[in-house]
Amino acid sequence: MTRAAIALVAVWGAVACRAPKPGEPLRGLSAAERAQFDSGRVVFDSVFTPEKGLGPLFNANGCKECHEDPVAGGTGDEVERHATAFHPDAVGRKCDELVGQGGFVFQNHVTPALHAALGIDSEPIPAAATAVARRRIPEIFGFGLLDAVPDSEILAYADPEDRNHDGISGRPNRFFDGRLGRFGRKALVPTLREFNDGAFGAEQGITTPAVPTEETVAGTPLPPGTDPAPDPELSDHEAELATMFVRLLAPIAQLKLPSEARHGSEVFTRIGCAQCHRPVLTTGNSPIAALRYQQVAAYTDLLLHDMGPDLGDICLALATPTEFRTEPLMGLRLKAQFLHDGRAKTPEQAIELHAGEAAGSRDRFLALSPADRAALVAFLKTL
Amino acid sequence: MPRVRLLSFLLCFAPLALLAQQPTTPHDSVRGAIRTVDVRTRTLEVTTGVGFALRVVRLQVPAGVPITDRQSAQPQLIGLGALQPGDVIRAAFGGRPTGFVAYTIERVGRMEGP
Repeated sequence: MTRAAIALVAVWGAVACRAPKPGEPLRGLSAAERAQFDSGRVVFDSVFTPEKGLGPLFNANGCKECHEDPVAGGTGDEVERHATAFHPDAVGRKCDELVGQGGFVFQNHVTPALHAALGIDSEPIPAAATAVARRRIPEIFGFGLLDAVPDSEILAYADPEDRNHDGISGRPNRFFDGRLGRFGRKALVPTLREFNDGAFGAEQGITTPAVPTEETVAGTPLPPGTDPAPDPELSDHEAELATMFVRLLAPIAQLKLPSEARHGSEVFTRIGCAQCHRPVLTTGNSPIAALRYQQVAAYTDLLLHDMGPDLGDICLALATPTEFRTEPLMGLRLKAQFLHDGRAKTPEQAIELHAGEAAGSRDRFLALSPADRAALVAFLKTL
Repeated sequence: MPRVRLLSFLLCFAPLALLAQQPTTPHDSVRGAIRTVDVRTRTLEVTTGVGFALRVVRLQVPAGVPITDRQSAQPQLIGLGALQPGDVIRAAFGGRPTGFVAYTIERVGRMEGP
């Protein structure tokens, strides 16, 4: 073998083995899957106008307007408003998602036509709301792997009655049809496809065959003439391609652990973080080989946990105001703000704001020696 | 010839006239959680949707519409008053000028809250 050939093999090997960069697809896709990823990125990057179906109520004019930093699939600087009404003493359901009044996503923007008709700049939040939540934009790298985790694995971690008396419960949320939820800060949405189809409707005002009707304005139908594009404004094929792009986005790969971070990993487990931020989830069977039976360094259990009253905001389906889904920590090092509303500017601040079921772990973190605390932070910066 | 015209007319329009008189076949179905039950007006509101795009479907439930409880081992017929907010139902319904009308309702579960 010539030197050139050896070098070529070495380069190929290095390319094949290196972890995907942010925005790249999972390794091991077939040519057809790679083509779907590339076509899906075109839909994901699309910018919609009112003539193409945007709005009349919307938060963004395309997926990438929010999921843009550092690349498509990342985060953004937008902050959404979600509002619901929680009635703890009610018989039956205690959470009213205000769906009949335009909830629970209240859009921040309107098209010029809707502004001209109603004189509003955003969807008004009804007086019935008991809480308004601020939601920062989640990174969606690796979400295809989270989608492929079987329900049985998530439910295996649930301990709603805290039978093992460790102070950590872990409760599943469920969508309104009874299926297990996993996507969204309150784990409302069962599947990635629904998460994306719902986002076209609720975030962009783009109707699809799955979401064939527009949002209302606080429960009132849209005034005539404010929604000129014929429904559905996006085809099922295009919506599926957008989901394939997200499904096949590789997770942010964990960095190799230097010795301090290795020690930090042990501290992470020792003080109890890993009881909710489960280091590894395993996917189930999948028609896509790159998603099939994969170990995902997700650092989540996809369950709801009580985080204490200071972080609490809205209820959603079975989630009470103080319950949030354990946030996946994969890709943590790319984040510039932390927690569901971005109120923490560093991982340390985010840990200090943990309460409720996480109070014990938080207290153990606060009691760490400076060296152990630095090691834990060093570990988090490898995620 | 007039007889042929009359027959053609009947063949064309009689089925449409019959269809207009009969309930339309179920054109859709919904699975979601009951938001409200109003026994007096015999209406249900069901929360459903896709992802974050939630919708409320309002159903009229005429007397005689079968409501089946499928939560127990042996499904049994129940009355509208037995349904409660938070029950997960599956309903077949059709559109009428007055709104959506349920044809069948099955209670299949419950949104168990804290």
